[in-house]
Amino acid sequence: MAGLSIDQVTKRFGDTEVLKGVSLDIADGEFVSLVGPSGCGKSTLLRIIAGLEEQSAGEISIAGQSVAGQRAADRNLSMVFQSYALYPHLSVGENIAVPLKMRRMSGMQRLPLIGRVMPGARAMAQDIGRDVDHAARMLEIGHLLDRKPGQLSGGQRQRVALGRALVREPAAFLLDEPLSNLDAKLRVQTRAEIAQLHRRLQATFIYVTHDQVEAMTMSDRIAVMMGGRILQCAAPEVVYEDPDHIEVAEFIGSPKINILPLEISEGGRLNLMDRPLDIVIPKAARGVASLGLRPEALRLGGEDAPLHGQVVHTENLGSEVFVQVALTASQDRVTLRATPDQRAALALGTSVALNFNTGKALVFDADGARLRGLRQLNAAASEVA
Amino acid sequence: MTAIETTLADRAQRPVTDHASKERRAAWALTAPALILMVVILLAPVLIAGLLSLTNYSLGNSGFDWVGARNYEKLFTRSTYEKMFVATLTYVVTVVPISVGLGLGAALLINSLGRFREIYKTIYFLPVMATLLAMAIAWEFMLHPSIGMINQTLAMGCGTFLEALWPFMAESCADRFPVWLGDKRYAIWVICFIGIWQGFGFNMVLYLAGLTGVHRELYHAAEMDGAKSAWERFRLVTWPALGPTTVFVVTISCIRAFQVFDTIEAFWPQGGGPNKSTYVMMFAIFEKGVQQNLIGIGSAITMLFLVFVMFLTLIQRWLVERKVHYK
Repeated sequence: MAGLSIDQVTKRFGDTEVLKGVSLDIADGEFVSLVGPSGCGKSTLLRIIAGLEEQSAGEISIAGQSVAGQRAADRNLSMVFQSYALYPHLSVGENIAVPLKMRRMSGMQRLPLIGRVMPGARAMAQDIGRDVDHAARMLEIGHLLDRKPGQLSGGQRQRVALGRALVREPAAFLLDEPLSNLDAKLRVQTRAEIAQLHRRLQATFIYVTHDQVEAMTMSDRIAVMMGGRILQCAAPEVVYEDPDHIEVAEFIGSPKINILPLEISEGGRLNLMDRPLDIVIPKAARGVASLGLRPEALRLGGEDAPLHGQVVHTENLGSEVFVQVALTASQDRVTLRATPDQRAALALGTSVALNFNTGKALVFDADGARLRGLRQLNAAASEVA
Repeated sequence: MTAIETTLADRAQRPVTDHASKERRAAWALTAPALILMVVILLAPVLIAGLLSLTNYSLGNSGFDWVGARNYEKLFTRSTYEKMFVATLTYVVTVVPISVGLGLGAALLINSLGRFREIYKTIYFLPVMATLLAMAIAWEFMLHPSIGMINQTLAMGCGTFLEALWPFMAESCADRFPVWLGDKRYAIWVICFIGIWQGFGFNMVLYLAGLTGVHRELYHAAEMDGAKSAWERFRLVTWPALGPTTVFVVTISCIRAFQVFDTIEAFWPQGGGPNKSTYVMMFAIFEKGVQQNLIGIGSAITMLFLVFVMFLTLIQRWLVERKVHYK
């Protein structure tokens, strides 16, 4: 087990720059997710860490040692692939044993037939068998050891792929969208199991996913990648509540954050749809900005509330209801999280007024960067009147 | 109560049975053309050949006598036919492994290329597309003992270090270079060589198709699992993935090898090579059945040939279902 550091890594495929100087430090035993939309470079970064792809510039070090020029087989990392990449002709047990055989046995001992009678081969095979059993028991696939991958369900194959990764003790585990081929229910279950596995092994995990829910639920830290850069790397709750960038705010959170246009007037005061808000930004720059409001920051308000609109769509999830409201003042739609007992008041077509907590409002400048240090004019009354 | 139930069930079932029998009739009607064709052009000729192999029939004769298994007895006792089996098996056992191996090697090399893939593919596939009969004439020129380019090329090695290294060279330089097509020691190997040259491009194309089915992530998984050398990756990923292709390629190569005929007919139209050393089965069938009009013995060889091919096909079916099917 070891920590890992990525320093200013860039990757170019021909003229297109896929990674634009990515830096990230991962502590020993940490679970870090690389999350972002497809094409953001997260898988490329993982493959560069693994050694399957070479970076155009920058450096990777594992446990403080640079791995420049070291091939994937020598980096002592384990990887779980999106397609699982199990060897179809080998049984489950043999699949899990492959990394051990390749590393512990000599070329002669691995030969078919002759290998078995080579000196030390029998003891070695027993050793490997024990380790395979141990890994299989940990993943509860002991009863599948004799089957071929073709005879397994998707979930079982996924476990075998995990087993093959954790049968030896690598410096770190790399997981490339391992849950994307599972059905929704199994995905939730496996998610919890991988998180538990991480707690039990205390190993370094680097997990690539495009699903922000997976990243939120399993990771110690989330690195949100967009367009070949890491926009923010922080604990899940920080990324959700305190995003650095409008793209991070939009990517993390489901349903999506509501973004409304703002105008900055004289003295740094913010105007929302021509109504002044009680918020002032420190640097008095005039111009346009955006206001980000999570669905749970919105609530139903009275006539004097700043936002008015009509209910156009509701999604009842049982424990909560998401209501889409088309605002009267603009073309925007906002999503509001309501409780089930408010459902009666939120029938389709109903006119509603929406209030929000200015303390929860996130303000981004025209380029999308977060504006911090907001000052509230009326600190006592944080509700916008 | 039971009576009522039975009648009800009857009434419900009758239209179903009617419908089923109609469907069955339609099914037979639709398969009939294919069935009739199969019987007329495949099964009937085999059956007739089988029957003829038990007679002494000749084309043009008004009648024939049943001779029982005497034709088969000749096949297994006369030295001509012993030579036929030796020549055929030598050819099959030499050509199949080498042309399969070369096909695989060429496919792997071409697959690893970035550029010029198509050029190499075309070059290796050219002999497959060429007419073997025409190619045989070209080979005949090249193999000519005095003016052929093969012997002339070899002669250039006389007086060099090759003579010390290669006893064949020393002997040939001292005496003369072999009469490739007239010497019973060389004739069958020349035929084998041309067979390999002509056939491995076909195997290469089949292997190239098989290689496209190998999942790229498997190679990455093998690398992560510690397979460092190309040989280890080949053994762990490529070779198992090519299993079904290999079974097919070997079977096809075997059947094609049993069918070798054109080169022998082109080189030695009369009699299957020096001292019958290249008297392969196909040529024997042609000579007996067509040239000498001995339909009975020709049919007997044909039946034997069919048995070999059938046997190979059964082995292939068994391997495909049992061994190389991973699902």
